[in-house]
Amino acid sequence: MITPPYLKKGDTIGIVCPSGYLPAKKTTICIQMLTSWGFRVKIGKTVGHQHHYFSGTDEERLADLQQMLDDNSIQAILCGRGGYGLSRLIDQLNFRQLKKYPKWIIGFSDITVLHAHLYQQVKMASLHAPMSAAFSKPDLSSVFTLKKALLGKKQIHTCAPHPFNRTGKVTGPLIGGNLSLIAHLIGSPSALHTKGAILFLEDIGEYVYNIDRMLIQMKRSGVFDKLGGLIIGGFTDCKDTEIPFGLTVAEVIRNQVQEYSFPVCFDFPVSHDTANVALKHGIPYELTISKRKVSLREA
Amino acid sequence: MKRAQFISSLVTTGLLSSSALVAGAQERKHPLRKWHIPPTLQKGDAIGITCPSGFAMPEDVAPAIQYLQNWGLQVVTGKTVGLKDHTFGGTDEERAADFQEMINRKDIKAILCARGGYGAVRIIDQLDFSPLKKYPKWIIGYSDITVFHSHLHAHAGMASLHAKMTEGFPTDPSLFEPVQLQALDTIRRALFGEPLQYSVPASTRNRLGEVEGILIGGNLKIIETLSATNSDIDTRNKIFFVEDVGEALYSIDRMFCNLKRSGKLSHLKALIVGSFSSIRPDDPQEPFGKTIYDIVWEQVKEFNYPVCFDFSVGHQKNNVALKCGVPHRLVVGEQASVLTQIQAG
Repeated sequence: MITPPYLKKGDTIGIVCPSGYLPAKKTTICIQMLTSWGFRVKIGKTVGHQHHYFSGTDEERLADLQQMLDDNSIQAILCGRGGYGLSRLIDQLNFRQLKKYPKWIIGFSDITVLHAHLYQQVKMASLHAPMSAAFSKPDLSSVFTLKKALLGKKQIHTCAPHPFNRTGKVTGPLIGGNLSLIAHLIGSPSALHTKGAILFLEDIGEYVYNIDRMLIQMKRSGVFDKLGGLIIGGFTDCKDTEIPFGLTVAEVIRNQVQEYSFPVCFDFPVSHDTANVALKHGIPYELTISKRKVSLREA
Repeated sequence: MKRAQFISSLVTTGLLSSSALVAGAQERKHPLRKWHIPPTLQKGDAIGITCPSGFAMPEDVAPAIQYLQNWGLQVVTGKTVGLKDHTFGGTDEERAADFQEMINRKDIKAILCARGGYGAVRIIDQLDFSPLKKYPKWIIGYSDITVFHSHLHAHAGMASLHAKMTEGFPTDPSLFEPVQLQALDTIRRALFGEPLQYSVPASTRNRLGEVEGILIGGNLKIIETLSATNSDIDTRNKIFFVEDVGEALYSIDRMFCNLKRSGKLSHLKALIVGSFSSIRPDDPQEPFGKTIYDIVWEQVKEFNYPVCFDFSVGHQKNNVALKCGVPHRLVVGEQASVLTQIQAG
């Protein structure tokens, strides 16, 4: 696994929108803060650009991201926002130059496609972390974890115990992201190989029954067979059918993984909500789940 | 093809309603591999009704029972009809047991799934399909029942019937539009072994061509969520059809990306696009900007096989019975697209 070099003051972060449209004004606070941290910022052509739903045509988004990947004067790429769109580009990206000059690629939600692909096909670590919108929130604690991660500080994340947690301790590469996208990638060349790994999952706006269906797909495609550990983040604004499914999201997940023995924790601070700590995707972590606490530390 | 031209002319002259069944389709000897095709039904045969997914109450299935009896069939109402476990037609155990009993029974020659919804994938791995080798039978349904079509195709090589379910049968036939009654009658024709042929008017977005191949497909979302599982279908050299309901355009686009990236669009004989109904509205600030035609076309433009849009399959009144796992001939012509079942020789 290639670990890109950590950043130092004076390094440059590129901002690019490979998926949905992001109005330029929504990046102002983000740019100010990155600058205040001592970084230079380079704005891609897709920031503030709109082609219907997307931040440009496929060609424009591809060209912008490719240019950022190939630009040796940039040390990290922050994806401005998620939405949808990377699945349309991923097979056309060229990672040759990135392999020679590795850099951190930052984002979550739709950016899960990029994290998974980098892990499986490029063998490169990346950063599952807040994007530009998070910089404007009143609670910046998760945003500061991104700063620490970029500067190479080893981190420990903790969370409160949950009655559904399954205790245990495991060390393995930390991978994962948005459940819908992890499921969507199954069967494709970007599908995650989860043997021995610590998998984290979060989602937003999904129906409970659909979460059940996606977990069954993961189960039936072998994702859980040799998994090291499972971290369940936030499932924000999940929906139910008119006739209720009859289980909460946490109950659905607990039921689907009860036949396995790997450690599981719930309510970890990774989500579409404010609690969304920076996680180094592809890097080994140690997950410890005890009755009293949960900790995730870089191994 | 003379026959196709003939049908096309009927469509264009208005003698044949769009997607109407064409009676008396010529029987052909098929040159393709013979799959396990359940025997056609005879009057007096038994057909089971069961709920592997969402629940159905006795009053929901009553019109179907009446209709099936009028066709001369005996109806075996499964234990799950009338059961309700939240959204499901009984617990997983109850639904699996009921379906298993239908599979095991020698006298049951077809199984009509009462309705879709969600739940088939929760029981599919608990079912033992091996008795189907001794007692082959038609499994009927669509939407969530795509799990069965896909699984049977992947495992048993067994043909099945993608068709309307119990809610498609009317309490009072006079309240149904002719197209709904015609679509229902295609189930009867399919089960009793009458030739099946469907014609739909040409879409300007079609890619023309003529092919023969085994027909498979179903609900796009279900096909995506079966990807890389042991119910996943091999679409190579198949005539592949998809439909869906209630999805957002971006989600349909993403699912077509999955089909493409998992290799399912690469070696098709043809692609049939049914209806994508009740599409979830876009955020008015960010309209997706592509139609279903654009979405499909972008994914298949690099290939050469025929593509037929607006086919009469999906969550709509005109949802004709399609025999999955059975060889068909598809002619996508200038005037019409015609899908013909190739009769076993």
